[in-house]
Amino acid sequence: MIPGSQGWESRMDMPVPVIRLPRGPDGISRGFDLNSPRYQALGLKDYKELKQEQKARTVMREQYLRSLLAMVGQPVCFTMYEKVTVMACFGSADIDILNFQVSELQTPLGVQREALLRCPDIISYTFQLSPQHTGVQQELKEGC
Amino acid sequence: MTDWCKKTPLEWKDYVNKEVKVTSDEKNEHQGWVLTVDPVTANIVLVNFLEDSKMSVTVVMGHAVQKVDILDEGNDEVKERLTYLFMPEEMKTFSTEDLEKRKNNLKSWLEQNHIPVTEQGDAQRTLCVAGVLTIDPPYGPENCSSSNEIILSRVQALIQSALTH
Repeated sequence: MIPGSQGWESRMDMPVPVIRLPRGPDGISRGFDLNSPRYQALGLKDYKELKQEQKARTVMREQYLRSLLAMVGQPVCFTMYEKVTVMACFGSADIDILNFQVSELQTPLGVQREALLRCPDIISYTFQLSPQHTGVQQELKEGC
Repeated sequence: MTDWCKKTPLEWKDYVNKEVKVTSDEKNEHQGWVLTVDPVTANIVLVNFLEDSKMSVTVVMGHAVQKVDILDEGNDEVKERLTYLFMPEEMKTFSTEDLEKRKNNLKSWLEQNHIPVTEQGDAQRTLCVAGVLTIDPPYGPENCSSSNEIILSRVQALIQSALTH
């Protein structure tokens, strides 16, 4: 028992409204229904335009992720700020492309076996692609 | 945050398959065919075709982009080369008729197993199961994608058994 709890109850003159949260996703969808009046009341984007935008987004993102995949194990030349250019063997990137994991990073002070490059420090990067690059990927997959 | 980063995916898409000149920080200039623009980071992937069918890929980080100028509107040949550049090998080995046949076979197999299936996407290439799972060409178990892992593994098993049937 909390001492004086009765007194606290009697002091609550103003009733507190019960907040009803909107129904969540139903388990088979990926979010709130874009056709629902609730969503449309938000006045965000036209449903059709949103669909088109999502389509463009997925196609372009897939291509970009595939380009990262093709870069795995390749020597890549990174152009960074302050006119720094370094070579390294690309390993992987994190999901929001904030860091690149590379190996054999050739710095002016020597070769760093493993390193993380912060993407905000990079201006651009370049790599070569041979015609059989997809075959290289296959070998890598089998090697793993 | 530059103007380039603030563009919408549909605006970025206008640059895809075109030849551009990108001016980036520290007065760097890059030229090439736009393969794609990453919608998350606004990174531009540029491709240059070199001799003996080699290619050089340059990616300019979205945050460093200052200006993008279109030099060439591109043509169908370049578009074709770029689209299939990073696609998995098995995608290329099937002809359009083969894919159509595989799609119809799979569709009838799923329907035999009482699974609701519809066609969607560009030229109805993607099969959609109960609105929660999609199967892209060439319609193998590894081409299924779904956020529901239970449905995913069931349908993948079913496709696998169709292949060995």
